[in-house]
Amino acid sequence: MNDIIIAADGLSKSYEGKPALRSLRLEVPRGSICGFLGRNGAGKTTTLKLLLGMLRRDAGSIRLFGEPVDSEASSIAARRRLGFVSEDKDLYPFMTVEQTIRFTRPFFPGWRRDLEEKYLDLFQLPRKKAVPKLSRGMRTQLMLLLAMARGAELLLMDEPTSGLDPAMTEDVLRILAGLAASEGTTIFFSSHQLAEVEQICDRVCIIDQGQVVIDGMLDDLKSEYRRILLVFDGVPPRELASLAGVDHLRQRGRTASLLAHGDVDGLVDRARELRPSSVEVRPVTLKELFLDHVRGE
Amino acid sequence: MLWYKAWLETRWRFVFMLGSALMVWLAPQWLPSFGFRLPPGVPASRIWMAVHLGSVLLYIVAASFLAGSGVNTQTTYAATSGFHGSMLFTLSLPVSRRRLLLVRAGLGAVQTGVLVAIMAGYTLLQRPGGASAVEAAEYIARAIACTMAVYALSVLLACVLDEMWQFYAAGLCWIAFYLLQSRFAFVSWISPLRGMSLFSYPLTAPMPWAPVVASLVFAGVCLCASVLVLQRKEY
Repeated sequence: MNDIIIAADGLSKSYEGKPALRSLRLEVPRGSICGFLGRNGAGKTTTLKLLLGMLRRDAGSIRLFGEPVDSEASSIAARRRLGFVSEDKDLYPFMTVEQTIRFTRPFFPGWRRDLEEKYLDLFQLPRKKAVPKLSRGMRTQLMLLLAMARGAELLLMDEPTSGLDPAMTEDVLRILAGLAASEGTTIFFSSHQLAEVEQICDRVCIIDQGQVVIDGMLDDLKSEYRRILLVFDGVPPRELASLAGVDHLRQRGRTASLLAHGDVDGLVDRARELRPSSVEVRPVTLKELFLDHVRGE
Repeated sequence: MLWYKAWLETRWRFVFMLGSALMVWLAPQWLPSFGFRLPPGVPASRIWMAVHLGSVLLYIVAASFLAGSGVNTQTTYAATSGFHGSMLFTLSLPVSRRRLLLVRAGLGAVQTGVLVAIMAGYTLLQRPGGASAVEAAEYIARAIACTMAVYALSVLLACVLDEMWQFYAAGLCWIAFYLLQSRFAFVSWISPLRGMSLFSYPLTAPMPWAPVVASLVFAGVCLCASVLVLQRKEY
């Protein structure tokens, strides 16, 4: 059994000459919940569509479930083992809930009636109701049901909670966390919502301008990165920016704020040599990591 | 299940076209009550010719309507606008794009064929003196075959254009084709429009095989092109 469910290497994609992905490298281990973060237009949806074969890549390779995805046949084989929830949650407007389930079921030999019934009851989805009459939240639930009842090993989700109210968002997150815990499903979802990623993800991948800028276990990242606040008597010295281990430097007046990783203690020692009047080392939040890397603040 | 989906998706369009055909059939009964009457002395053959030409127009409308809206709605939804609706859900299913298109186009072809057969059958019933079984079979067969050319072109256009533009594009294609056939004898010889036209085949002449075969070949080429377009399309 392969432990890496999603592996992309050197993935590149351009739209009319404008690069959307630049040699993207990505690995998602089996059983993880991986949040895929980035600004609008960073390349999140493009990555998901490339994984699903909806777009053609310009360069690079994709492996899903350990198998290369390099033809329509291999893409179909991979799609048999995964579920996808699109950002718009659009299903067929000419079908009811029951018809949508009946339509989807035969495509997946591993369809689980027990899960279908379980989630129909849990979500209280009206079986006879036409899809256009469902609320956005209910459409999300129906898509989740379709993805989960097929016995998917991998869920790809494009902003699954967009447009949902806070209560519904909470429900969806709880269901996803439960799914990963009970079924061992790998979940890879793009989001703008740092709080929800922090709430359920054990792994984070941040993408900016088509490139992965941070990728790792959330806990590891939080322990690896530190915010170092230095206050000087005058203008902070320029040498700060060139200290090894400094990811980003932000200056305001007499204060310098460093985002650092690696040997933070060694960095602090070197920073002290520049004679700051005070030094403070703080843990970082995901929001800080995200903003520092995508905005370079 | 793709057939099931295709049927659910297109059934009301099919019913709508059936209803339109029914209205055409019932028109002779209704029109006199609105004061429309033919002037005395119009030969029955002329009236039948008008009925036939009306049917041909209906074939073309039905083929364009069922192909354009049917295939386009989900399979190539909003081909150029970037809004893909439920197409993303469809593409996430473990099914090839070729199969997606062929099932949808296949159902539309069956629907178009059924409509044309019904309309052509009705048209034959209006013919003064009726028609022999062979004549009737040939009449219906060529109507279906030639209409398939119209249908398949609409399927192809649905793969590259948004719904709004498909009908204009189809109309322009057929006007261009009509101009070509009036200028070049060979084009006229194989033209589906000539195949459907009464003037080329007044039921007593031999079956016009050239336009029938050419229409089927053209339809096949259009469908193959549609599959290629869909397989290369990015969503």
